[in-house]
Amino acid sequence: MTPIQAGLLTQLALAALAVVAAVLTPPRLRARVAGAAVVGLGVAGAVTGAWALGGGQGALRIPVSLPFDPVVLSPDRLGGLFMLVAGLVGAVSASYGISYVRGPAASRTSWSAMAVFLLALQLVPAAADAVSFLLCWELMAVSSTVLLLAEHAHRAAVRSAALWYAVMTHLSFVLLLVGFAVLADAGGGTGFAALSTVPAGSAAASLAFALLVLGFASKAGIVPLHVWLPRAHPEAPSHVSAVMSAAMVKMGVYGAVLVTIRLLPGGPAWWGLLLLAFGAVSAVYGILQASVATDLKRMLAYSTSENVGLMFLALGTGLLLRAQGSAGPADAAIAACLLLVVSHAAFKTTLFLGAGSVLHATGERDLDRLGGLGARMPTTSVAFGIGALGAAALPVTSGFVAEWALLQSLIHGANAQDRLVAVVMPVSVAVVALTAGLALLAFVKAYGIAFLARPRSEGAAAAHESAPGMRVALVLAAASVVVLGLAPGPTYTAVAAAAGLPGPQPVGWWGIDLSAVGALLDPVALTVLAVLLVVPVLVVSVRLARRQPRREVDLPWGCGGVRLSPRMQYTATSYAEPLARVFDDALRPERDVLVTHSAESRYLVERVQFQQHVGDIVEETAYRPGIRFVDRLGLLARRLQNGSIHRYLGYSFVALLAVLVVVSL
Amino acid sequence: MNAGALVLVVVQVAVMVVLSPLLVGVMRQVRARMEGRAGAGVLQPWRDLRKLLGKETLQADGTSWVMAAGPVVLLGSSALVCALVPLVGTTTFPLVPDDLFVVVSVLLLGTVALALVGLDAGSAFGGMGSSRHMTIAALVEPTVLVSVYALSIPVGSSALSAIVEARIADPASIASPVSLLALVALSVAVLAETGRMPVDNPSTHLELTMIHEAMVLESSGRDLAWLELGSWLRLGALLGLVGSLLVPWGIAGDVTVPALAVGVLALALKLGVIGAGLAAGEVFLAKLRLFRVPELLAGSFVLAFLAVTASYLVVQG
Amino acid sequence: MSTSWFDQAIGLAAGVLLLTSVLLVWKRSLAAAVRSLAVQGVALAALVAVIGIYEGDPQLVAIALLVLALKGFLLPWVLDRSRVRIAAVREETPLLNTTASLLALSLLTMLAYLVSRPFLTLAPGPTSAAVPVGISLVLYGFLILTTRRHAISQLVGFLVLDNGIATVAFLTSGGVPLVVELGASLDVLLVVLILRVLTSRITAEFGAADLDDLMELRD
Repeated sequence: MTPIQAGLLTQLALAALAVVAAVLTPPRLRARVAGAAVVGLGVAGAVTGAWALGGGQGALRIPVSLPFDPVVLSPDRLGGLFMLVAGLVGAVSASYGISYVRGPAASRTSWSAMAVFLLALQLVPAAADAVSFLLCWELMAVSSTVLLLAEHAHRAAVRSAALWYAVMTHLSFVLLLVGFAVLADAGGGTGFAALSTVPAGSAAASLAFALLVLGFASKAGIVPLHVWLPRAHPEAPSHVSAVMSAAMVKMGVYGAVLVTIRLLPGGPAWWGLLLLAFGAVSAVYGILQASVATDLKRMLAYSTSENVGLMFLALGTGLLLRAQGSAGPADAAIAACLLLVVSHAAFKTTLFLGAGSVLHATGERDLDRLGGLGARMPTTSVAFGIGALGAAALPVTSGFVAEWALLQSLIHGANAQDRLVAVVMPVSVAVVALTAGLALLAFVKAYGIAFLARPRSEGAAAAHESAPGMRVALVLAAASVVVLGLAPGPTYTAVAAAAGLPGPQPVGWWGIDLSAVGALLDPVALTVLAVLLVVPVLVVSVRLARRQPRREVDLPWGCGGVRLSPRMQYTATSYAEPLARVFDDALRPERDVLVTHSAESRYLVERVQFQQHVGDIVEETAYRPGIRFVDRLGLLARRLQNGSIHRYLGYSFVALLAVLVVVSL
Repeated sequence: MNAGALVLVVVQVAVMVVLSPLLVGVMRQVRARMEGRAGAGVLQPWRDLRKLLGKETLQADGTSWVMAAGPVVLLGSSALVCALVPLVGTTTFPLVPDDLFVVVSVLLLGTVALALVGLDAGSAFGGMGSSRHMTIAALVEPTVLVSVYALSIPVGSSALSAIVEARIADPASIASPVSLLALVALSVAVLAETGRMPVDNPSTHLELTMIHEAMVLESSGRDLAWLELGSWLRLGALLGLVGSLLVPWGIAGDVTVPALAVGVLALALKLGVIGAGLAAGEVFLAKLRLFRVPELLAGSFVLAFLAVTASYLVVQG
Repeated sequence: MSTSWFDQAIGLAAGVLLLTSVLLVWKRSLAAAVRSLAVQGVALAALVAVIGIYEGDPQLVAIALLVLALKGFLLPWVLDRSRVRIAAVREETPLLNTTASLLALSLLTMLAYLVSRPFLTLAPGPTSAAVPVGISLVLYGFLILTTRRHAISQLVGFLVLDNGIATVAFLTSGGVPLVVELGASLDVLLVVLILRVLTSRITAEFGAADLDDLMELRD
């Protein structure tokens, strides 16, 4: 038995153990016992993934009583990378969940679903044939729907979110099913080895590519198939949101990489262009919505759309450049895609868990009602801050490294001989730049409004630091953001191995040398230089502070007045107001200004009420008409069903007659 | 190589710390004279700094550690930019190349620190300044990166020292349309990033229009000193960068005493001329309405974009 | 006469052509628009002159002088006079706001660049390398025509379009015969004069030079 086989078996066993524990243990112990088993499952997945990433071989065949071949689980290096990511995210989130869950999220069903969900997540990248892949995929979809439904009895929004999610995720499944069927037909088998015999230039390959990419894009939350994301992420329990956003959405990216790099390598240039266009639209739209969102978790959900958009953009760039013959920058772009995957997993876990702590402590998700949490929840504040730095791609975090690699590949990708690339690359640079700029604003807003200044509601004022278990998980996640940012060299080597790219030159202290594009980055050296420069400032500051310590005074400046209430602070809505105005045409916010005049005179204003709502314009323009159409069909169908038993029997009779007539013809 | 780079970094940062308050002093003085005022003298920023460092630091009740850490981060990021950008010489550490993307990110770290300081006090003005500051920073980003892209194309590298060295070697490339377009775009971006006219009026204290001043409203004593010095260093480094790209002569190719002396003198001269010119220009400019700023930035973005497009034209022609 | 000098000069003239058109869209003041147009005319003349001198063709140089007189001075002057007469200050409410127009410009430039691929592959060289600039000008002209409301802006758009066509003509065919150019120039002059009269009439009729008012004539 190879270590991979052992690892896979351990995962199955631990998942079963977790389900049994969740069902049998009393509520008091359930979270701890079942949670520990789920953490173990995650760790087992991570270890197995790491082993596969290191080149370990091994296949597990599970005979199922279906008219198919047995389910084959055999992760390759690429699958190993994604299994590693899913396992780590799952382990950290589950350990957070142990202290976090309360009420319905701590039920038997929820913990069992959590175990199955994590198992499915870890097995999707291990699947070695289309049938097993789809089985694991469906298991992942169903278990996550159950998890999402945890609080359905309390909030109507949960039910609506689950409905959207279920519909979109099954749409994705159907697309994948048809896509793999087309490919299997052309390749003469369902195993990935058989599928990869289909030449990438054939029509079947292109059709399958289009179907599969649409299916994966829907799972990945790519605009315009993202509509479930900003509903599902906020409504799920936070540790589940973390897994969904940091790991499950990545399975969409895994699928896209699987199809374009492993199964059908060497596809035509338009494949790359399609992915790139999807990614670019998604990145800009996602971050625009995130910048104006006021619900903390909804904002994080839109930011997921943005990040996945960047991953698709990077992958598309890589494919396009490969098709056009610039191998070096293409490799850098594909590596950047996988770096983004790893980095996003790290910082989005941190951010969602941080948001969970905030929700736990204040009962508020609305940024407009938060504030001043930095003093009340110092650990959470620092961890969330690090995650936000990562999401804003600032040095020295994992997000910075990934975006740097992407930009380097973009600016070196173009050559004058190839006009298509020469036109596409500048646009992509502009898109990435705008995305980076807006991400900066969005995360300064999220951190600054929630954690700085003074509390804007009683819930925020009464906030308390979260339980030690939650803090440990948060700190682990935040530390991973920094470590990945400081030591990109090993990560780069790993992702290069996963995608079958030539490894980079190791340089300095775990730095990267992208010799193919002539660029070098060593965050540790940069940090050392920065620290050397900051030390004199600190020395002066400390000496001055010893002479004259800082003193707190009552109030900030209020134009000479002292009536400064927390309500006079900027809120998240007002913070993003200039941006909402600049991008008025793209966001179409609905504003209501209600002015109540004083009874004595119309020139005196008693109160002004301002309301702003930013809907999802894609949902309103593309989905609502479709839903209305289906609704109308449903009404028509109701005419067929009027409850009369005679009519139903009549239908059966007519059907029987029709069949007989057809048979006799 | 490393020792030389270290010497250069120390020289650049030290020179910039000395020069940038003087630069601000010169700019204020030019402006004052042109507006018919006597002005406070070129050394006034230095006197301000000394005064602020000696004063007691006050902070409003309920503010957090960001009030103290933000200024240091801003100053550190500005100093790091001064160290990375080839102002006096082009020698770099082999492990820390002066990659423009890195420089921009380090700069943004300072931007974020300043925005958080603005939010921390919990006054209405701080939030207002911070919000506008970040909106502008977000919209400037495409211009900056696309003009970086345009500048990097002829050299095939985004390392600043490589770009500057190529320009010294081939002066004709500076006057090419591509390079001019990119430089104009970059200059607009620099004006917006450093809060100069017509994006922000650095000398205003009118509460509803200020951006930079609104964010530093609640800081005092050494916090304010670091914030001011950090902003000045940033202005100096960015103007110096434009100067290095526009007039690359005098920048030391190696680390020897005469070369460095020439480099420092050339830097002082360039900064003086650019600063005085900028200040003179500001006298004639009115501040743009906030919602007209996107038009300005979109225009500069188009210039940068044209520079990229045109550079492929020229390269293949 | 070195080729690199020729390259630089063509590049510079093409750059000025592009820059002035961007300024035309950027600035809403009509006076600034007319000034940019004049500079554009001069740049076009310079472009023709450079080609003429490089190829040693006196006829092209004569055309350059004609272009200079007409597009650099006469037409802007006519435009400016009618602007002063109807006291127009700025384009108030373009159909597409400035920011969006500017972004549209960058997309149009890209498009121009893509469609001029055949020219570039057929005859590589500095003159054909500047062809996309001419095509961009044509597209910018159309953009101005379709999105601006003021009658003066319409004229400006029309002239940018014409400049674009002229640029492409000079760059690809190495010049058109003097007679043809003369005829074309006179046509443009005539059109501008007629439009100018029309503008004055519209202003007199409606009190503004907003072309949307023309819709009222339908009834």
